[in-house]
Amino acid sequence: MPLDRLSEGQLDALKEISNIGMGHAATALSQLVGDRVDLRVPKITIARIGEVPDLLGGAERVVIGVVLQILGGARGNILLIFPRESAFRLLSVLLDREEKGDVLNELASSTLREVGNILASAYLGALGSLLGMTLIPSVPLLAHDMAGAVVDHILIELSRTGDQALIVETEFSGERSSHPSIKGHFLLLPDPLSLELVLQAAGGVP
Amino acid sequence: MIERRRVGISECLVARGPSVLITYGLGSCLGIALYDPKQRLGGLAHSLLPSPPRGAKRVKETKFVETAIRHMTDELTVLGAEREDMIAKIVGGANMFHLLHTRPEDGVGARNVRKARELLESLGIFLAAEDTGGDYGRTVEFDLATGEVRVRTVRSDDLLL
Repeated sequence: MPLDRLSEGQLDALKEISNIGMGHAATALSQLVGDRVDLRVPKITIARIGEVPDLLGGAERVVIGVVLQILGGARGNILLIFPRESAFRLLSVLLDREEKGDVLNELASSTLREVGNILASAYLGALGSLLGMTLIPSVPLLAHDMAGAVVDHILIELSRTGDQALIVETEFSGERSSHPSIKGHFLLLPDPLSLELVLQAAGGVP
Repeated sequence: MIERRRVGISECLVARGPSVLITYGLGSCLGIALYDPKQRLGGLAHSLLPSPPRGAKRVKETKFVETAIRHMTDELTVLGAEREDMIAKIVGGANMFHLLHTRPEDGVGARNVRKARELLESLGIFLAAEDTGGDYGRTVEFDLATGEVRVRTVRSDDLLL
């Protein structure tokens, strides 16, 4: 299905299910860090594949990205992107010690992968029960590098079927009065062939 | 002020020096620079996959390593470059996530690199330098005045090819 032919109703249905899924993920994150986590309303962008790195703040911007493939009734990818400072702040909270520097050590990497796993599982669990399908996350992968390089294997996968990507994006931030906030982006990039299945299950009116 | 132009994902640009062509954040994608030093003509592509799917009719040529190299070679020839004078440099083709392809040589990055080497050889274009593989991203700056390719990474100092 050409992505730019999706109707308003279909986009709203996607936003709505993603909002619910993200709500569950935010609850999980908030329990993890022991603080309130705020969510922005999800935004859906249909972009040419080449524009995706710009949506993440530019291809050369250094980010920490956790990538999970979606397995089960529908396919796609989940991408969790943290600006570097936010990732280190999150680690400081979770590991209860000052995390600094340029390099993620083994404990820091596996902690962030686990955060990705918890968020994606909460999100996909909610989505799956709404849609009546089983959705599970793959083993989380982590990269600390230029945004363009972190996402290009997802873009390569998407480019096999078309030149566009549909992105459901939610910005979240953890607020704590004594600390600078922790910000991140949660992105869902459904496989175009699976999108149809998701829309059918969501009952979005064409 | 020397003109600096950006080459986006699955795009390519050809130009004459002095001018700098740049492509950002290559992971498993491949950056391909072709250059005719006599004419100071060069092209840079940012390609995603080795070859178009079999039987595909209309494809974006610059999306694939194979068609991008042919396309740039043709464009440079039209501008006055000679095939036998051209040299190539390739950058990228990393395997960003070890778990995705536990044998990196099976990954799309390595397949992109292999396709470029094969095709350049069969076209008789000398592969003068490459910085490929690994598990990190690269940015390429291609200076058409000199043919120099600068590779930037997050981890180490710039590399000049």
